[in-house]
Amino acid sequence: MVTPPDRSSQTRVPIWRNVVVIKWATQLGILFGLLWLGYVVITQATSNLRATGIPFSWDFLGEPLGVKLGEGFNTDPESGLEALAVGMVNMLRVTWSGVIAATILGTVIGISRLSSNWIVSRIANAYIEFFRNIPLLVQILFWQALIVGLLPDLTPEMEGSRWLFASPKGIAMPWLTPLAGRWQYTVVLILGVVVARWVYRRRIALQEREGHDTHAFAWSIGTFAVFLVGGWFAHPVAGVLGWLFSALAWVAGAVPVIGLQLVLAALAVWLAARYIVRYLGRLRSPAGMAKLSDDDYFRLAVAGVVGIGVMLFFVSGAGQATLSSVLGRTLWYQMNWGFEPLFDFLASRFDFAGGAPLRFTLPEVVVPTRFPQYSHEVGKALTPGFMAVWMGVTLYTAAFIAEIVRAGIMAVPRGQGEAAAAVGLRRGQVLRLVVLPQAFRIILPPLGSQYLNLAKNTSLGIAVAYADIVQVGQTIFNQEGQALAVFIFWMGFYSLVSLILSGIVNYYNRKMALVER
Amino acid sequence: MTRRLVPLFVVLAMVVASCGADDEPAATTAAQETTTAATQATTTQPEEVVVVPSQGGTLGEIQARGSLRCGVSTAAIGFAEPQDDGSYTGFDADYCRALAAAVLGDATAVEFVGTTAAERFNVLAAGEVDVLFRNTTWTQSRDTEIGGDFGPTTFYDGQQIMGKADFGFTDASTLVDVDGARLCTNAGTTTEKNITEGARVVGAEIELVTVENFPEAMDLFRAGSCDLVTTDGSALFGHRYAAIQNGEIAEGDWIIFPTTPISKEPLGPMYRQNDSQWADVVNWLVYILIIADEKGVTSANIDEMIANPPDPEAGRFLGVGEDELQTKMGLEADAYAQAIRQVGNYDEIYVNNLEPLGFARAGSANARWTEGGLVYAPPAR
Repeated sequence: MVTPPDRSSQTRVPIWRNVVVIKWATQLGILFGLLWLGYVVITQATSNLRATGIPFSWDFLGEPLGVKLGEGFNTDPESGLEALAVGMVNMLRVTWSGVIAATILGTVIGISRLSSNWIVSRIANAYIEFFRNIPLLVQILFWQALIVGLLPDLTPEMEGSRWLFASPKGIAMPWLTPLAGRWQYTVVLILGVVVARWVYRRRIALQEREGHDTHAFAWSIGTFAVFLVGGWFAHPVAGVLGWLFSALAWVAGAVPVIGLQLVLAALAVWLAARYIVRYLGRLRSPAGMAKLSDDDYFRLAVAGVVGIGVMLFFVSGAGQATLSSVLGRTLWYQMNWGFEPLFDFLASRFDFAGGAPLRFTLPEVVVPTRFPQYSHEVGKALTPGFMAVWMGVTLYTAAFIAEIVRAGIMAVPRGQGEAAAAVGLRRGQVLRLVVLPQAFRIILPPLGSQYLNLAKNTSLGIAVAYADIVQVGQTIFNQEGQALAVFIFWMGFYSLVSLILSGIVNYYNRKMALVER
Repeated sequence: MTRRLVPLFVVLAMVVASCGADDEPAATTAAQETTTAATQATTTQPEEVVVVPSQGGTLGEIQARGSLRCGVSTAAIGFAEPQDDGSYTGFDADYCRALAAAVLGDATAVEFVGTTAAERFNVLAAGEVDVLFRNTTWTQSRDTEIGGDFGPTTFYDGQQIMGKADFGFTDASTLVDVDGARLCTNAGTTTEKNITEGARVVGAEIELVTVENFPEAMDLFRAGSCDLVTTDGSALFGHRYAAIQNGEIAEGDWIIFPTTPISKEPLGPMYRQNDSQWADVVNWLVYILIIADEKGVTSANIDEMIANPPDPEAGRFLGVGEDELQTKMGLEADAYAQAIRQVGNYDEIYVNNLEPLGFARAGSANARWTEGGLVYAPPAR
């Protein structure tokens, strides 16, 4: 803060030239300008929509849609919200399977690109240049045309099981078909990962203490294997979670909506308080508290005001009325935020059911009426739409990932590897212990942004009639006319997915980053 | 973490401020501005309501211009097919010609304007065309919301299903036979809903694939990716006809069913609302071509009919009776006689354009009312 040393001896600085006033006035001016702009946009949009005869509303979320969806966990949804949920799950399906496949493929190609084998490195180069220079939409349409146009037709004579089916109706392949105990088994496996991690750390600690190889990696793999095999038989134990979820469902059902509001209000105050405390903590050093600048005061004031404002908003009647009008009665009151149905759903999956949780099955073509189709009971049938989008985003993103991997490896100074070799590490150890950890640190941030691209690019599935959230949303606004509400839903969903993805990548990035002191 | 929460707080604060502004009007100048903006918004709101004023005088404009501007589909087999010289042929195009013959005495005095499904209503409202003969389904919302009015239905269309005869479909197939099918349709406001509801009612289990445009659905159907396709019957007949014409399939390979469509899609002319004179001219053109069909007045025998009208009603609409009504509508007395002479009656227009595609008139909703169909006109008297 610029403060004249002695005010009385000088002429007073006029108020419009006072640094403190100018700083606060510009900050507040911009803040209120933004608020005003938002208000104008919202009121204008609301009144214009009312004039078109289609007032903004979320009611479609609770109303029957009346249209079947192409694919998903429920192709005959009972409400708009359920239809959107099907679309979201379809989008996530193609995203996570695409992320895994693109990472593996991209890494292989990126390393091949550096291979000393001339043909391998040329092929990798050709792959990269080919796939990243063609628009993704064109590629997706191409895969669809290939699947639909070139594969032989499915005929009733093909009824029966095989290892692989490929037809214009999609691809069907062998699969580990989940049975009743799969949720319990999944919980056991997650537990296995956690315990294996703990064992790994213990062995590493032991290794560092005693100075000899404790085979930490083998130990952790072995631990996981114990859970993998033991869980196959012992998974009904995890059925106790059913009781837990039932209890949570009961609590969620018993707590009135105001309870959730109170939780949100408390959360807002807690976050604001935590922000202020942390901010002050950052300014504190062993030498004592640093002097707070205007900016610091401004941040602290805004955090406090926002925290208290949000709290008041959630607990006041006006806030409640606003929320129920913005979110719609369905979302605000009737769905109870989905917690009760969510816990009920989870509770219904844990029931101490015994037996094998998975079964290896071959795909089968059945002819229930007159049309041959893939059985939904055995094997895994993938629709042409899914295949086209999945192949499109995977092959496209893999080209970029390959370049990132290559760049990451090349960015590790050659001297690192040479030095490691000089101290007597073997070739594999040089890669595993010295080069790759450093390359990974460089690869991770751009890799994360490729994952985000992949997630967002799945929306192109609408071109091949893949029932993802965009296609389902479009069906909804064709039916109900609530384009704005659907767009808000889309934006919210994609933002959430992107934030979660980047959150995961940032978490690993922080863990991998050099610790600077 | 906390740094990333800041935008969230700002957004929440915006919501708080915008909602709280009305409660505390004197809080800050900014809040005052918002409240004045709000009051302005509410007071100006009535002015924003679009009221389409009475256009009036479309008939006079056409007569002064010497040509009829007729909005048709950019391409719809059997209904409006573009020709090299910019004109169109087909069922809808013939109605444009008949209207030009009635209004201007010359069936060739038509400027065809090809319009897409999305732009057709705007083109009409903006006055770029005088009338739409463009596969437009008459619905309550379209009648009330978009500043136009509908004339009498010229073609009773309806959603139907097309399947391959290989799968055992016949003309007698019904909705029950779609059970177990992978079914493709185009995204519209009603097509997906009709088939979903129809299948549910009869208890048929279907897998529904919704594509953007119908030709994509046809591609999937051809490749066997979809077992069946569904959309308006007129489009199905058109695509099947085109496939037979280019030798892709033989007659009888693709079956369109059920005979009674699963939805009602009455297609007819549309004009700007609140222009009664022009509406009467268009409506009675449609009616009189229907009456001419009932009475057997065709383009071939019209001169005999004029010389010797079979009954007083025919004499009136042919313009030879004492009490003819065309002059009171602002037309020449022989206006509709010209339409019949130069283009033909309803049956001629139908048979010339649609029967080659496989739309049999007999037994369909488009048969004469005396033969079990819906084609009916009020009396010309």
